[in-house]
Amino acid sequence: MLSLQGISKGFPGVKALTDVSLDVAAGEIHALVGENGAGKSTLTRVIAGVFQPDAGTVRFDGRETVWKGPGDAKRHGVHVIYQEFVLFPHLSVAENIFVGHERRNRLGLIDHGRTRRDAKELLARFGIDIDPEALVRDLSVADQQMVEIAKALVHDVKLLILDEPTAVISGREVDVLFDRLRRLKQQGVAIVYISHRLEEIFALCDRVSVLKDGNHVATRTIDEVTRDQLIALMVGRNLAELFPVRRSAKAPGPVVVAARNVEVSGRVRGASIELRAGEITGLAGMVGAGRSELALAMFGAIPMRSGSLVVDGREVSGLSPRRAIDLGIGLVTEDRKGQGLAMLLDVAANVSASTLNEFGRGWRFDRAREKRVAEQEIASYRIACRGPSTPVSVMSGGNQQKVLVARWARTSTRLLILDEPTRGVDVGAKTEIYRIMHELADRGVAVLMISSELPEIVGMSERVVVMREGVVTGELSKSEISEEAVVELATRRLAG
Amino acid sequence: MQTRTLRLPRFLAGGRAALLVVVALLILLFVLGASVSDRFATTGNMLNVYEQSAGLALVSLGQTLTILTGGIDLSVGSVISLLSMLTSGLIAGDEAMVIPVVAGVLVLGALIGAANGVTIVATGVHPLIVTLGTGAIVQGVALLYGLGPVGSVPISFDAFAYGTFPGGISIGATVALALFLLVSFFLNNTRTGRRIYAIGDDPHAADLMGLPRRRILVGVYAASGFFAALTAVYLVSRFNVGQPYTGANYTLASITPVVVGGTMLAGGRGGVIGTLLGVYLVSLLNNTLNFLDISSHYQLVVQGLVIILAVSVYVEKQRGLA
Repeated sequence: MLSLQGISKGFPGVKALTDVSLDVAAGEIHALVGENGAGKSTLTRVIAGVFQPDAGTVRFDGRETVWKGPGDAKRHGVHVIYQEFVLFPHLSVAENIFVGHERRNRLGLIDHGRTRRDAKELLARFGIDIDPEALVRDLSVADQQMVEIAKALVHDVKLLILDEPTAVISGREVDVLFDRLRRLKQQGVAIVYISHRLEEIFALCDRVSVLKDGNHVATRTIDEVTRDQLIALMVGRNLAELFPVRRSAKAPGPVVVAARNVEVSGRVRGASIELRAGEITGLAGMVGAGRSELALAMFGAIPMRSGSLVVDGREVSGLSPRRAIDLGIGLVTEDRKGQGLAMLLDVAANVSASTLNEFGRGWRFDRAREKRVAEQEIASYRIACRGPSTPVSVMSGGNQQKVLVARWARTSTRLLILDEPTRGVDVGAKTEIYRIMHELADRGVAVLMISSELPEIVGMSERVVVMREGVVTGELSKSEISEEAVVELATRRLAG
Repeated sequence: MQTRTLRLPRFLAGGRAALLVVVALLILLFVLGASVSDRFATTGNMLNVYEQSAGLALVSLGQTLTILTGGIDLSVGSVISLLSMLTSGLIAGDEAMVIPVVAGVLVLGALIGAANGVTIVATGVHPLIVTLGTGAIVQGVALLYGLGPVGSVPISFDAFAYGTFPGGISIGATVALALFLLVSFFLNNTRTGRRIYAIGDDPHAADLMGLPRRRILVGVYAASGFFAALTAVYLVSRFNVGQPYTGANYTLASITPVVVGGTMLAGGRGGVIGTLLGVYLVSLLNNTLNFLDISSHYQLVVQGLVIILAVSVYVEKQRGLA
């Protein structure tokens, strides 16, 4: 049904896909696996006509094809269920299901009655009990996912791609989904199934293809591969190589910062966490588990509805980012462009941004000193740039991230929180960032690393805290840490 | 997995409960006005309020569409000014020129609007900046065309603004009302109408769904230009002549009823019926201020306050930093 030949796709500063070739047959469920950043999402978007490949050909249904856009691909029977929802929150469920294929009457007007009836029937066929007239924004995340899946069945679909469809659903909903996918397979639909959950892949799929760093590593039928072999193919390198060993790992010090029963509206529901001096704590969980919100609340960037932050045994009142910085707490946000770096300013300005007082009294600002400090940081973090006056926007993702970490490392004497510190960063820069984290821990700083990459959590953490749906579901000590244990806690069904 | 929603009647669903607020404000203002003067709550005065709503209604109808897509059209004031001058300037008192000129002006308005849309789509520059720029260009052209009133129109031309149906019901305001109902039907019952909401709600998702977002945007700005042109024709009918600053206050004025009527500046939510009620609210407010013998300059002050108040009331609470 689908045949990719030598697909390459690059973005400024990143090579997302290199010479990827892949076949998916009609009536096959084909798993696509790989670490975050391996190129799965980019490949999905090439197949769906969102991106044009730089090189290579797409053959679909026996013909060489160049999609004019996602609408074109959709008309030819390619449907994608993206990891981030493609839903219109203020339209109704029924309207969302049929948008693009609106039910119309003889006059060409929208047939509201038929839209509603057809949606109801479709949802019922899927065993989903959702009011078709409800607004999508009023649905739970799981229900929104079911609407996404229902949308796919409206069309005469030949190739269905699902990107992490089970990230936000569980139990019975997963069973319903699998049942439906198997039926589509029998009808001759080709299915590409992307998931981090290997057990799902073994339960559902016929073949599995592995992507790593934008390269197609292997394709195997599911019977001829074991779970461990699959992980080895995905990671494809010695874990010890990527994650530097912390040389001077001492026993962690006392608890320096603790969050107690933090609630943030809608996202965090009574989470507590303790962070010790000189210890690297991993915070794991699925996307949407409330990890970033907990971090932002601890930094005072979003309000806590209840709960408190305790620093050196004393409760902090009037928490704000300014206060957090004064207390020696730093936060490297997940979104380095939006919330972290001033993209148009140079390295020096970005490094000094959170310690401006250091460089001047009153209206004077010591540019020479700022430059000297920036030069030191560039050297000590091995930031690749022409000098302190290089604009951050022209630098690679990895080096941008190092600038951000350098800035916060200057002020974070108690705790540095890093939210997805290596997302979109190449392997070399990753190792460098891990090294910086070790240095900080060696200086006695508590380090909290939020990460969705299991190997990173397992490779770097000395203790792991796992969240799901806004609550902490468990904690793993150094000896208990394994990918399986983390996944188990991250997907554990909540009581009640 | 039972989903419970508060079941509002269909015409109120989808955040349209804001309409209730506007209706309440209309009643409140009516009671206030009635307590100020005996002549306020008369049929004659209410017909007067209705009549005077026409110009604002026409321009804010187009503005509602641009705001529903998450954009805005800041060029409408200048477009009204230029086209009002062209209307009276080209008709130049000649009865035979009325129909061709009016038709030409309406087409030109739509073309200027379409040019806005094409620029927004092609450059990716925010509509705020694009239409601010176009507005300046159009205003410049208007001033090059003439520094004061230009041309004239036949006496009969005032029928659009001052003509009435039996019972003293304004023709212009009724045309506007009919257009609102038509556009409301269009938004709710056609594919393009529903897609206007979708692209305003989440443009990224609209692209991934393969909706023709660019084409719709061009159409929406063309509609905004068309309604600005219609407003220009109406104002010429009202004042008998076009001037370079006829439309000056209409840019801000066109936004007020839209936001008062519950259409979100972020796009995707609201509708023209809210705007229509917003228009009547503004019209009633100005009328009340007249009865209070307050200078018309204060009407501008009040309008500024109303727009800030309305946006701050409807604005959604920010979630997190996002």
